[in-house]
Amino acid sequence: MESQQSNKPHRGGTAKTTAKKKLHQNGQNKKAFAVNAPRKLERMARRSHDVNEKKLHVPMVDRTPDDDPPPVIVAVVGPPGTGKTTLIKSLVRRLTKTTLTEIKGPITVVSGKRRRLTFLEVSNDLNSMIDAAKIADLVLMLVDGNYGLEMETMEFLNIAQHHGMPRVLGVATHLDLFKSQSTLRTSKKRLKHRFWTEVYQGAKLFYLSGVINGRYPDREILNLTRFISVMKFRPLKWRNEHPYLLADRITDLTHPQQVADDPKCDRKVAIYGYLHGVPLPSQDATIHIAGVGDYTVHSIEKLPDPCPTPYFEQRLDDLERERAKAAAAEGQEVAKTTRRRKRLEDKQKIIYAPMSDVGGVLVDRDAVYIDVGAKESFNKDTEEELGEGEKFVTDLQDVQKTMQERLEEGPGLQLFSSSSALNRIGEEEEEEEDDDDEDEEEDYDEDDQVVVDSGRKALRRPNVYGKSIAEDDEFDNEVSDDDEDHYDSDEPKLVDIDFSNDNYANDKLEYVEDSSLESDEEPASVAARLQGSVRRRWDINKLLYLSNIDPAEVIKRWKGQEEDDEEEEEDIEQEEDFFTKKSSAEVSEDLDQFQPTYPSIDILRKKYEDSDEEYENGYKFLKDRFLVAPKMSEENGDEKEGDEEEVYGDFEDLEGEGEDGEEGGEEEEEEDEDDFADFDAEEQKEEEEEEEVDDENLTTEQKRQLNAEKKAKLKMQFEEEEDREFGADDPEEEAETWYEFQKNKMAKQLEINKAEYEEMDPEQRISIEGYRAGSYVKIVFESLPCEFVNNLRPEFPIVLGGLLATESRFGIMNVRIRRHRWHKKILKSQDPLILSLGWRRFQTLPIYTTSDSRTRNRMLKYTPEHAYCFASFYGPLVAPNTTFVGFNIIDKSSTTGSFRVAATGIVEDLNSSVEIVKKLKLVGHPYKIFRNTAFIKDMFSNALEVAKFEGASIRTVSGIRGEIKRALSKPDGHFRATFEDKVLMSDTIFLKTWYPVPVKKFYNPVTSHLLRDHDEWKGMRLTGQVRAENNIATPLNSDSAYKKIERTERRFNALKVPKSIKASLPFKSQIHTMKPQKKSTYMAKRAVVVGGDEKKARDLMQKIATVRKEKEAKRKSKKSDKFKERLKTIAKKEEFRKEKERERKKEYFQKEGKKRPLAASSSNAFGKRQRT
Amino acid sequence: MSSKSGIATFEGHRNFRLRLILATLAGKSIKISKIRSNDVNPGLRDHEVSFLRLLEAVTNGCHIEISYTGTAVIYKPGIIIGGELTHVCANTKPVGYFIEPMLYLAPFSKKKFSIIFKGITTSDKSKDATPESIKWGLIPIMEKFGVREISLYILKRGSAPIGGGEVHLLCNSLIPQPLTIHALDIPKFSAIRGVSYSTRVSPSIVNRMIDGARKALRPTGVEVNITADVWRGENSGKSPGYGITLVAESKKGWRIVAEGVGSAGELPEDIGETVALQLLEEISTSAVVGLNQLQLVLVYMTIGKEDIGRFKLSNSQINENFIWYLRDIKQLFGNEVFIKEEDKDYSLLSIKGVGFTSVSKKIA
Repeated sequence: MESQQSNKPHRGGTAKTTAKKKLHQNGQNKKAFAVNAPRKLERMARRSHDVNEKKLHVPMVDRTPDDDPPPVIVAVVGPPGTGKTTLIKSLVRRLTKTTLTEIKGPITVVSGKRRRLTFLEVSNDLNSMIDAAKIADLVLMLVDGNYGLEMETMEFLNIAQHHGMPRVLGVATHLDLFKSQSTLRTSKKRLKHRFWTEVYQGAKLFYLSGVINGRYPDREILNLTRFISVMKFRPLKWRNEHPYLLADRITDLTHPQQVADDPKCDRKVAIYGYLHGVPLPSQDATIHIAGVGDYTVHSIEKLPDPCPTPYFEQRLDDLERERAKAAAAEGQEVAKTTRRRKRLEDKQKIIYAPMSDVGGVLVDRDAVYIDVGAKESFNKDTEEELGEGEKFVTDLQDVQKTMQERLEEGPGLQLFSSSSALNRIGEEEEEEEDDDDEDEEEDYDEDDQVVVDSGRKALRRPNVYGKSIAEDDEFDNEVSDDDEDHYDSDEPKLVDIDFSNDNYANDKLEYVEDSSLESDEEPASVAARLQGSVRRRWDINKLLYLSNIDPAEVIKRWKGQEEDDEEEEEDIEQEEDFFTKKSSAEVSEDLDQFQPTYPSIDILRKKYEDSDEEYENGYKFLKDRFLVAPKMSEENGDEKEGDEEEVYGDFEDLEGEGEDGEEGGEEEEEEDEDDFADFDAEEQKEEEEEEEVDDENLTTEQKRQLNAEKKAKLKMQFEEEEDREFGADDPEEEAETWYEFQKNKMAKQLEINKAEYEEMDPEQRISIEGYRAGSYVKIVFESLPCEFVNNLRPEFPIVLGGLLATESRFGIMNVRIRRHRWHKKILKSQDPLILSLGWRRFQTLPIYTTSDSRTRNRMLKYTPEHAYCFASFYGPLVAPNTTFVGFNIIDKSSTTGSFRVAATGIVEDLNSSVEIVKKLKLVGHPYKIFRNTAFIKDMFSNALEVAKFEGASIRTVSGIRGEIKRALSKPDGHFRATFEDKVLMSDTIFLKTWYPVPVKKFYNPVTSHLLRDHDEWKGMRLTGQVRAENNIATPLNSDSAYKKIERTERRFNALKVPKSIKASLPFKSQIHTMKPQKKSTYMAKRAVVVGGDEKKARDLMQKIATVRKEKEAKRKSKKSDKFKERLKTIAKKEEFRKEKERERKKEYFQKEGKKRPLAASSSNAFGKRQRT
Repeated sequence: MSSKSGIATFEGHRNFRLRLILATLAGKSIKISKIRSNDVNPGLRDHEVSFLRLLEAVTNGCHIEISYTGTAVIYKPGIIIGGELTHVCANTKPVGYFIEPMLYLAPFSKKKFSIIFKGITTSDKSKDATPESIKWGLIPIMEKFGVREISLYILKRGSAPIGGGEVHLLCNSLIPQPLTIHALDIPKFSAIRGVSYSTRVSPSIVNRMIDGARKALRPTGVEVNITADVWRGENSGKSPGYGITLVAESKKGWRIVAEGVGSAGELPEDIGETVALQLLEEISTSAVVGLNQLQLVLVYMTIGKEDIGRFKLSNSQINENFIWYLRDIKQLFGNEVFIKEEDKDYSLLSIKGVGFTSVSKKIA
């Protein structure tokens, strides 16, 4: 058998290459390295990750309410003539079907179901541009397609960038001026790319072609509006911390009498507008009015929204319907509301622009203007004869008093100039008068309309303090208008402004009711209630802040009912306790202590020993405040503690107690697992409980209630969960990234805020939350300068910015600043600079500094060319990390073509004082030198100064260091100093010190709104400007002048070392000097033999030289002979000349001598000759 | 209440420190008048003047004007600077009187706070915080608000009346504003800890206090852990004294603290028991924090972000002082609170922060 054994033959490896093998052909598994180009993949992954990361921004809470946000402020910016007005007109026309003739002030329109837009035309004035940049949510940047970006555009972009960049949408206009399509295309492209570099890559640029009918083409405008209405905005830091408002209406509330008495008196002014940003505190808010100053708000009132969104209106309707339903359920008969639910689309397109001209009616500061177009202008003083009707109207315009007044005062009413005065109004007559006019007006009130039609241009005095019927009608119309929107009315309708009255509160409108008027009433009503029943349980929230009620009293009132419920005795006891406590507190006079007052030990003991019946169970009423160790760990704990037998016993008892109630035991068990997770268990338990309850048949009502409770519980638990999350960690790790986690956190906090606010009643909500963004408010200021009202120009935006507590304080701000690289000049320290920081614009005197390796702040005379430096200036404090922009000039008249943004920077640090120094070198000279000591003169002028610098280190120019020792008594200001080596008399001694430079406390707010010309504000001028204008030469200190430096070469004497020292010197330091040579050198002693040609040549040369010398000598002697000869002749000539001279003189004096006596004899003749 | 001129006025010496601290945080000038004007010994006390001096030292640019009689003070705050300082406290109050208000300023200063307070650490005469109660009672609460690196070291103890103690307050975290907290559930206390200390007396006294406290706390059934801390020699100051501080701790970090200092003729056991019972009393009448921590919580919630923070409160904690606190806060910060009574015992307090940010802090 064994031999026959046949094993299965070995199957050798097949050489076939399977598919699997093919994978390994290149030595590696291809599938394992599936990526062909791993680098590329990595790059791509990295890029996509980069792109995603770039999208992230620091999570910031958006405090704009999402249910009714304020209108989006759209600033239309551009150089003059680029079509700003045309664009706004086109947009408004598109959105509301209203044609504007004039744009003044902000225009608010409804653009969508939940969005409103406020258009703001920004004129080319720098102040307006700054203010607009601070508040605009969206900037429509108009660019003339033919010119490209202009200086103003650049300036605006730079300003906007440093006040939190709003969204910028470029709009290129005047594109129809391009003749050829290809140039249009290229210039569009060029413009787009230029715009991208300025804003960001891919920024949207719209192109508007020519103007048709005074508007841009409808299709293009439609696209633009669509783009605007879906745009999203990111919260900006500054605006997310401050409330602000763009005024769209301003009223002077000052009593006319007061103005009449003193036209320059401070005015009481109401400013209206939509609030933006964070809620505005309801009391004592400080507000900066840009271009005017800081003012405390006198009162704020929330007004019904003049331009509500359809969404908001719908909600109002819902609210009302619900209320009606509730009332109906209670069985009350409700008056049927006549408000229509269905409105035409067009009716929702509301426009609100009180300062502009809408539908021919223009409500200005103190008057109503009605536009009748340019066709016929009415002028009372025209020469031409008026028609009878016109005359009527002019006469009516002149009327100063009402008819009533005239009837009472005067002789009577005179209807026609020719007719006699009437004392009684005959109705017929009046009708007769009316019939003269074209329309069918019936009463006097509508006479004004007649005036309207005839083209009145003169002012109409508004009725400020009284209340007119028209006013009431207006608001009623607004609320319950069925078919006619009054803003849209085709025919010009009179709008009577009566700003001071508060009749909104009477309206049925829910939202109107939270006006502050009611809260004003509150103290009175509370007081009234105080007189009333004691049974009433007080709302603690109302009592808390009533300053007329003492806190002790507050507690008493609040607890009033509780005390009643409790036992009488205890009550009394408490009262007594209370009073003794209070009185004792006053006597012991320590009202500022840490430890609370407890009942005495005996009371406490009694309280806690009373529970001693259940001693074994511990303090029962404290049970739910302690988390007692569980059974299991309890024993472990015991083992650890060991000696605490009694404690052990207690635990056993506790356990027993736990067992008697199942619920309790359960709770404990759950609790011990984890403090954090207990709510889950609780929830479970709760559900169980409720299910049980459910089993017992309940009415649906009860069930509903149960459900509500359950929901509340769940919500609570959810919040508890949040609470934990707010702590530090996220146990469930819901959020994947930190970013998401933060976002969730913020969203939850906002939800909590909203829920909390909704629980409060409206009045409380306002006092706690303030007036939130989106509400239309009227802010009244008590005393604004009269110039604000007198010089009001609605074309310039009026921005109100709320100030935080610190922003009203003044101090020194240390900032990092950089000259703008497009600004032509560098900036000089202590030169005035206009800053736009926070809400404010002000002029201040910055000192530029640099940090000397962080040891000191050294003053710089000028800003560095292209780098940041530091600056310190005085002004109202603004929180660190706020950016600002600086200008040298902002007025239009000094504007040149150059770039006006001078500097940009960021606030780094605030302080009350700052130490800036500049270098100061004091120079002195030695006048007596000992070995290492020297007496120095010329550095100080008296001993006191020396005393101040005793011990200061000094040095010579050559670098020998020394120290100031002591002042010398004799020559005042001289001192003794020691040096590390002997100084020379010729040395100059330096003392390097630092001289403090104080920051000048100069703050000059830009009050441009108080000027007649808002764009002509000029602050303190630069020193150079003042000098140039007054032709004063720049003073030149001769010491500061640059002169040629003359340095005489110093010659030093040879070093002489005394022999004794020389001898003692070590060999290394020996001074090596050569001995003078005694032997004559080879050169000196060698003999030179000349021969051959050399000798001949020398001989020849010598001969020639001899001959020449001889000749020379001969010539010389000859020359001297000649010269002597010549001298002789000269002397002879001289002799002759002198002789001649002498003769002439003699002759002359002889003649003169004869004349003298003649002159003396006849003075007349002499005088006559003198005269001629 | 608040006047137009931007200066808030107060009357009386109530909450003297709180008012000054709030003024410093809000940056508003205040005037406190009628300080003990009807007293036999009118005007500011030594410790109050000493406190004003401390305030001047930790701020820059503040201006303090005290009237001739000392019954009125005008305080114009500066910017909180902090830094390294040594403050010699007046001997009329223990150092806790000075440290406590510094806890409000320390996290919002320009430089880190490092102040050594010299004086009495514990006193049986006044009801001010001992360093222990600050360390175990207030600092953990501050951690809840995001002030994490703050510590207090007792270098030397010194009992009243002569003192000789030294306490070092060190705050390393500078935060822009406190976190918004939501403390909606009443914490359960899982342990009671404490310190029983003595200076220049027999060490047995410390143990006797511990025994007394333990006896009273035993029925609670929670872990009780009281440390004996006997100080000897130079570091124990110049006067004899002893005391005990007990802290109930919850796992979430809330603390309730009670303390007592022994005075002449008292039995140490009694002190231990009193403090223990006071702690139980405090626990039973409080919700999230005790009465002595309430002020801190209110102020820190007020100066938070512009969000609503919520906080559970026992109705018995709504007392006169509480209302004074709120009114003082309102006068300087202008914000109000909302109290929602949930049931007979507890209420929920909602405070909207004022959006405060520490302006002193320099950006990097």
